[in-house]
Amino acid sequence: MNLLKKNKVVFIASAMLVLAVGTAYVYQYISMSPKDIVEITPEYVGDATELSFLVTNNLSYWTGKVVQITGKVTELTEDGVLLNGTMYCQFENGKDLQSIVENQQINIKGKLVGFDEILMEIKLNQCMIH
Amino acid sequence: MGKWWIYRKLVMKKNQILILFFLLLSFQLSAQKYFTRSGLTQFEASEKAFEPVEAINNTTTVILDTANGAIVSQVFIAGFQFKNALMQEHFNENYMDTHQYPKATFKGNFMDFSLENLNTNERFELSGTLSVRGIEKSIETIVNVKEENNRIYVSGMFFVSPQDFQIKIPSIVRDKIAKQIQINIDYELIEKK
Repeated sequence: MNLLKKNKVVFIASAMLVLAVGTAYVYQYISMSPKDIVEITPEYVGDATELSFLVTNNLSYWTGKVVQITGKVTELTEDGVLLNGTMYCQFENGKDLQSIVENQQINIKGKLVGFDEILMEIKLNQCMIH
Repeated sequence: MGKWWIYRKLVMKKNQILILFFLLLSFQLSAQKYFTRSGLTQFEASEKAFEPVEAINNTTTVILDTANGAIVSQVFIAGFQFKNALMQEHFNENYMDTHQYPKATFKGNFMDFSLENLNTNERFELSGTLSVRGIEKSIETIVNVKEENNRIYVSGMFFVSPQDFQIKIPSIVRDKIAKQIQINIDYELIEKK
Protein backbone atom coordinates (compact mmCIF):
# COMPACT_ATOMS: atom_id res chain seq x y z
CA MET A 1 0.00 0.00 0.00
CA ASN A 2 2.71 2.36 1.04
CA LEU A 3 4.80 1.38 -1.95
CA LEU A 4 1.87 1.90 -4.26
CA LYS A 5 1.28 5.35 -2.85
CA LYS A 6 4.95 6.22 -3.29
CA ASN A 7 4.85 5.01 -6.88
CA LYS A 8 1.83 7.15 -7.53
CA VAL A 9 3.60 10.25 -6.25
CA VAL A 10 6.62 9.48 -8.41
CA PHE A 11 4.36 8.91 -11.42
CA ILE A 12 2.48 12.16 -10.96
CA ALA A 13 5.68 14.09 -10.38
CA SER A 14 7.32 12.72 -13.51
CA ALA A 15 4.18 13.27 -15.58
CA MET A 16 4.11 16.89 -14.47
CA LEU A 17 7.78 17.28 -15.30
CA VAL A 18 7.26 15.87 -18.81
CA LEU A 19 4.28 18.17 -19.28
CA ALA A 20 6.23 21.21 -18.08
CA VAL A 21 9.19 20.49 -20.34
CA GLY A 22 6.82 19.83 -23.25
CA THR A 23 4.96 23.08 -22.69
CA ALA A 24 8.20 25.02 -22.43
CA TYR A 25 9.44 23.43 -25.64
CA VAL A 26 6.23 24.12 -27.54
CA TYR A 27 6.14 27.66 -26.20
CA GLN A 28 9.69 28.22 -27.33
CA TYR A 29 8.84 26.89 -30.79
CA ILE A 30 5.77 29.10 -31.08
CA SER A 31 7.48 32.27 -29.91
CA MET A 32 10.69 31.78 -31.86
CA SER A 33 11.90 34.91 -33.62
CA PRO A 34 12.63 34.70 -37.36
CA LYS A 35 16.00 33.20 -38.25
CA ASP A 36 18.83 35.61 -38.82
CA ILE A 37 20.15 35.80 -42.37
CA VAL A 38 23.61 34.82 -41.02
CA GLU A 39 22.31 31.44 -39.91
CA ILE A 40 20.63 30.55 -43.22
CA THR A 41 22.63 28.75 -45.92
CA PRO A 42 22.26 30.70 -49.17
CA GLU A 43 20.22 29.13 -51.97
CA TYR A 44 22.50 30.70 -54.56
CA VAL A 45 26.15 31.72 -54.43
CA GLY A 46 27.62 33.52 -57.43
CA ASP A 47 27.43 36.42 -59.81
CA ALA A 48 24.74 39.12 -59.44
CA THR A 49 23.99 39.44 -63.16
CA GLU A 50 23.60 35.69 -63.54
CA LEU A 51 21.19 35.58 -60.64
CA SER A 52 19.19 38.46 -62.10
CA PHE A 53 18.63 36.34 -65.23
CA LEU A 54 17.52 33.40 -63.12
CA VAL A 55 15.17 35.60 -61.15
CA THR A 56 13.57 37.13 -64.26
CA ASN A 57 12.81 33.63 -65.50
CA ASN A 58 11.35 32.32 -62.28
CA LEU A 59 10.53 35.11 -59.87
CA SER A 60 8.20 33.20 -57.59
CA TYR A 61 10.82 30.55 -56.88
CA TRP A 62 13.38 33.10 -55.74
CA THR A 63 11.06 35.25 -53.66
CA GLY A 64 12.04 34.99 -50.01
CA LYS A 65 15.23 33.02 -50.70
CA VAL A 66 18.56 33.91 -49.13
CA VAL A 67 21.29 34.48 -51.71
CA GLN A 68 24.94 35.44 -51.75
CA ILE A 69 26.05 37.50 -54.72
CA THR A 70 29.14 39.19 -56.09
CA GLY A 71 28.94 42.31 -58.18
CA LYS A 72 30.09 45.84 -58.86
CA VAL A 73 28.64 48.72 -56.87
CA THR A 74 27.06 50.97 -59.51
CA GLU A 75 25.26 53.24 -57.07
CA LEU A 76 25.72 53.89 -53.39
CA THR A 77 22.76 55.20 -51.39
CA GLU A 78 22.10 55.97 -47.75
CA ASP A 79 20.89 52.51 -46.87
CA GLY A 80 22.09 50.23 -49.60
CA VAL A 81 23.90 49.62 -52.85
CA LEU A 82 22.91 48.92 -56.43
CA LEU A 83 24.84 45.95 -57.82
CA ASN A 84 25.56 45.76 -61.57
CA GLY A 85 22.73 48.24 -62.10
CA THR A 86 20.11 45.51 -61.63
CA MET A 87 19.99 44.53 -57.97
CA TYR A 88 19.32 46.81 -55.09
CA CYS A 89 20.63 45.49 -51.78
CA GLN A 90 19.27 47.19 -48.72
CA PHE A 91 21.53 46.87 -45.71
CA GLU A 92 20.43 45.99 -42.21
CA ASN A 93 23.28 47.87 -40.62
CA GLY A 94 24.38 51.27 -41.94
CA LYS A 95 27.89 50.75 -40.56
CA ASP A 96 28.60 48.12 -43.22
CA LEU A 97 28.06 50.76 -45.90
CA GLN A 98 30.73 53.13 -44.65
CA SER A 99 33.57 51.04 -46.04
CA ILE A 100 31.99 50.69 -49.50
CA VAL A 101 32.92 52.91 -52.42
CA GLU A 102 31.40 53.11 -55.90
CA ASN A 103 32.70 50.71 -58.58
CA GLN A 104 34.01 48.35 -55.92
CA GLN A 105 33.50 44.59 -56.30
CA ILE A 106 31.67 43.24 -53.28
CA ASN A 107 30.15 40.04 -51.96
CA ILE A 108 26.77 40.41 -50.30
CA LYS A 109 24.45 38.05 -48.51
CA GLY A 110 20.79 38.97 -48.23
CA LYS A 111 17.17 37.96 -48.70
CA LEU A 112 15.58 38.38 -52.11
CA VAL A 113 12.19 40.03 -51.69
CA GLY A 114 11.08 40.52 -55.28
CA PHE A 115 11.19 42.55 -58.49
CA ASP A 116 10.51 46.25 -58.14
CA GLU A 117 8.46 47.26 -61.17
CA ILE A 118 8.58 50.95 -60.33
CA LEU A 119 12.36 51.21 -60.50
CA MET A 120 12.86 48.04 -62.58
CA GLU A 121 15.30 46.35 -60.25
CA ILE A 122 15.49 43.25 -58.10
CA LYS A 123 15.38 43.98 -54.41
CA LEU A 124 17.21 42.33 -51.53
CA ASN A 125 16.88 43.22 -47.89
CA GLN A 126 18.65 42.44 -44.61
CA CYS A 127 21.90 42.54 -46.57
CA MET A 128 25.39 42.28 -45.13
CA ILE A 129 28.89 42.13 -46.53
CA HIS A 130 30.09 38.56 -46.64
CA MET B 1 15.41 70.00 -107.24
CA GLY B 2 16.95 72.86 -105.27
CA LYS B 3 13.64 73.63 -103.60
CA TRP B 4 13.27 70.03 -102.47
CA TRP B 5 16.70 70.10 -100.88
CA ILE B 6 15.91 73.25 -98.91
CA TYR B 7 12.66 71.65 -97.78
CA ARG B 8 14.54 68.55 -96.53
CA LYS B 9 16.99 70.71 -94.66
CA LEU B 10 14.16 72.61 -93.00
CA VAL B 11 12.44 69.39 -91.90
CA MET B 12 15.68 68.13 -90.43
CA LYS B 13 16.17 71.34 -88.52
CA LYS B 14 12.63 71.10 -87.25
CA ASN B 15 13.29 67.53 -86.11
CA GLN B 16 16.39 68.64 -84.30
CA ILE B 17 14.47 71.35 -82.49
CA LEU B 18 11.78 68.84 -81.60
CA ILE B 19 14.36 66.40 -80.23
CA LEU B 20 15.97 69.14 -78.21
CA PHE B 21 12.56 70.19 -76.93
CA PHE B 22 11.71 66.65 -75.80
CA LEU B 23 15.12 66.23 -74.24
CA LEU B 24 14.59 69.37 -72.21
CA LEU B 25 11.07 68.30 -71.34
CA SER B 26 12.18 64.90 -70.12
CA PHE B 27 14.92 66.53 -68.08
CA GLN B 28 12.34 68.84 -66.58
CA LEU B 29 10.01 65.94 -65.82
CA SER B 30 12.67 63.78 -64.23
CA ALA B 31 13.70 66.64 -62.01
CA GLN B 32 10.23 66.76 -60.52
CA LYS B 33 10.17 63.29 -59.07
CA TYR B 34 11.00 62.32 -55.53
CA PHE B 35 11.49 58.73 -54.47
CA THR B 36 12.66 56.23 -51.87
CA ARG B 37 13.47 52.55 -51.88
CA SER B 38 13.37 52.11 -48.15
CA GLY B 39 10.08 53.55 -46.96
CA LEU B 40 8.55 52.25 -43.74
CA THR B 41 5.17 50.56 -44.01
CA GLN B 42 3.86 49.01 -40.85
CA PHE B 43 0.69 47.25 -39.90
CA GLU B 44 -0.92 46.73 -36.55
CA ALA B 45 -3.64 44.14 -36.09
CA SER B 46 -3.29 43.45 -32.38
CA GLU B 47 -6.16 42.79 -30.00
CA LYS B 48 -5.86 43.71 -26.35
CA ALA B 49 -4.61 40.97 -24.02
CA PHE B 50 -3.34 38.85 -26.91
CA GLU B 51 0.05 38.51 -28.51
CA PRO B 52 0.79 41.57 -30.68
CA VAL B 53 0.12 41.02 -34.39
CA GLU B 54 2.29 43.56 -36.15
CA ALA B 55 5.03 43.77 -38.73
CA ILE B 56 7.33 46.31 -40.32
CA ASN B 57 8.39 46.59 -43.93
CA ASN B 58 11.32 48.90 -44.56
CA THR B 59 11.69 48.20 -48.26
CA THR B 60 8.77 50.17 -49.62
CA THR B 61 9.41 51.86 -52.96
CA VAL B 62 7.63 55.18 -53.39
CA ILE B 63 7.66 57.72 -56.23
CA LEU B 64 6.02 61.11 -55.91
CA ASP B 65 5.56 63.39 -58.89
CA THR B 66 5.65 66.87 -57.42
CA ALA B 67 4.27 68.41 -60.61
CA ASN B 68 0.82 66.90 -60.13
CA GLY B 69 0.85 65.17 -56.73
CA ALA B 70 0.63 61.66 -58.11
CA ILE B 71 2.09 58.99 -55.86
CA VAL B 72 2.87 55.34 -56.56
CA SER B 73 4.14 52.89 -53.99
CA GLN B 74 4.90 49.23 -53.77
CA VAL B 75 5.69 46.85 -50.92
CA PHE B 76 6.90 43.29 -51.06
CA ILE B 77 4.78 41.10 -48.81
CA ALA B 78 7.81 38.89 -48.12
CA GLY B 79 9.55 41.98 -46.79
CA PHE B 80 7.27 42.28 -43.74
CA GLN B 81 9.27 41.41 -40.67
CA PHE B 82 7.53 40.00 -37.60
CA LYS B 83 8.95 39.40 -34.16
CA ASN B 84 7.61 35.87 -34.30
CA ALA B 85 8.81 33.44 -36.97
CA LEU B 86 5.70 31.27 -36.95
CA MET B 87 3.45 34.29 -37.31
CA GLN B 88 5.54 35.51 -40.25
CA GLU B 89 5.24 32.09 -41.90
CA HIS B 90 1.47 31.98 -41.44
CA PHE B 91 1.13 35.53 -42.69
CA ASN B 92 2.94 34.67 -45.92
CA GLU B 93 1.58 31.20 -46.53
CA ASN B 94 -1.94 31.13 -45.14
CA TYR B 95 -3.19 34.69 -45.28
CA MET B 96 -1.37 36.61 -47.97
CA ASP B 97 -0.41 33.82 -50.41
CA THR B 98 2.88 35.61 -50.95
CA HIS B 99 4.05 33.28 -53.71
CA GLN B 100 1.00 34.01 -55.79
CA TYR B 101 0.74 37.71 -54.89
CA PRO B 102 4.25 38.89 -54.02
CA LYS B 103 3.44 42.58 -53.76
CA ALA B 104 0.92 45.17 -52.75
CA THR B 105 0.67 48.47 -54.60
CA PHE B 106 -0.90 51.85 -54.08
CA LYS B 107 -1.63 54.43 -56.76
CA GLY B 108 -3.07 57.74 -55.77
CA ASN B 109 -3.17 61.50 -55.85
CA PHE B 110 -2.75 64.30 -53.35
CA MET B 111 -5.42 66.99 -53.55
CA ASP B 112 -4.20 70.53 -54.33
CA PHE B 113 -0.60 69.46 -54.22
CA SER B 114 2.31 71.63 -55.23
CA LEU B 115 5.81 72.16 -53.88
CA GLU B 116 4.91 75.77 -53.00
CA ASN B 117 1.89 74.58 -51.06
CA LEU B 118 4.17 72.52 -48.84
CA ASN B 119 5.35 75.66 -47.10
CA THR B 120 1.90 76.65 -45.95
CA ASN B 121 0.07 73.36 -45.74
CA GLU B 122 1.10 70.19 -43.94
CA ARG B 123 -1.92 68.00 -44.31
CA PHE B 124 -3.08 66.78 -47.69
CA GLU B 125 -6.01 64.68 -48.73
CA LEU B 126 -4.84 61.49 -50.39
CA SER B 127 -7.11 59.28 -52.41
CA GLY B 128 -6.21 56.28 -54.46
CA THR B 129 -6.39 52.55 -54.95
CA LEU B 130 -4.71 49.96 -52.80
CA SER B 131 -4.18 46.61 -54.43
CA VAL B 132 -3.49 43.56 -52.25
CA ARG B 133 -3.77 39.94 -53.38
CA GLY B 134 -4.93 41.21 -56.75
CA ILE B 135 -7.97 42.89 -55.18
CA GLU B 136 -8.44 46.64 -55.35
CA LYS B 137 -9.85 48.90 -52.69
CA SER B 138 -10.15 52.66 -52.78
CA ILE B 139 -8.52 54.49 -49.91
CA GLU B 140 -9.13 58.01 -48.73
CA THR B 141 -7.12 59.50 -45.94
CA ILE B 142 -5.29 62.59 -44.79
CA VAL B 143 -1.52 62.46 -44.59
CA ASN B 144 1.22 64.78 -43.43
CA VAL B 145 3.58 66.01 -46.08
CA LYS B 146 6.46 68.34 -45.44
CA GLU B 147 9.60 69.44 -47.19
CA GLU B 148 12.95 69.95 -45.49
CA ASN B 149 16.43 70.20 -47.04
CA ASN B 150 15.08 69.11 -50.41
CA ARG B 151 13.56 65.96 -48.92
CA ILE B 152 9.86 65.26 -48.77
CA TYR B 153 8.48 63.52 -45.71
CA VAL B 154 5.19 61.68 -46.06
CA SER B 155 3.52 60.10 -43.05
CA GLY B 156 0.05 58.96 -42.15
CA MET B 157 -2.23 56.05 -41.54
CA PHE B 158 -5.43 54.40 -42.68
CA PHE B 159 -7.48 51.33 -41.92
CA VAL B 160 -8.30 48.23 -43.92
CA SER B 161 -10.03 45.02 -42.99
CA PRO B 162 -9.10 41.45 -43.94
CA GLN B 163 -12.44 41.02 -45.73
CA ASP B 164 -11.56 43.87 -48.08
CA PHE B 165 -9.02 41.56 -49.70
CA GLN B 166 -10.86 38.30 -49.13
CA ILE B 167 -8.43 37.13 -46.48
CA LYS B 168 -10.09 34.34 -44.52
CA ILE B 169 -9.18 34.14 -40.87
CA PRO B 170 -9.83 30.80 -39.15
CA SER B 171 -12.23 31.01 -36.22
CA ILE B 172 -9.57 29.72 -33.84
CA VAL B 173 -7.53 32.93 -34.17
CA ARG B 174 -10.37 35.29 -35.04
CA ASP B 175 -10.43 36.91 -31.60
CA LYS B 176 -6.71 37.53 -31.67
CA ILE B 177 -6.65 39.55 -34.88
CA ALA B 178 -8.19 43.00 -35.04
CA LYS B 179 -11.17 43.54 -37.35
CA GLN B 180 -9.71 46.86 -38.45
CA ILE B 181 -6.06 46.74 -39.33
CA GLN B 182 -4.11 49.95 -39.02
CA ILE B 183 -1.57 50.69 -41.72
CA ASN B 184 1.09 53.26 -40.89
CA ILE B 185 3.25 54.84 -43.54
CA ASP B 186 6.43 56.84 -43.08
CA TYR B 187 8.41 57.77 -46.17
CA GLU B 188 11.41 60.01 -46.64
CA LEU B 189 11.73 60.88 -50.31
CA ILE B 190 14.80 62.26 -52.04
CA GLU B 191 14.98 63.91 -55.43
CA LYS B 192 15.31 61.47 -58.30
CA LYS B 193 18.15 62.33 -60.62
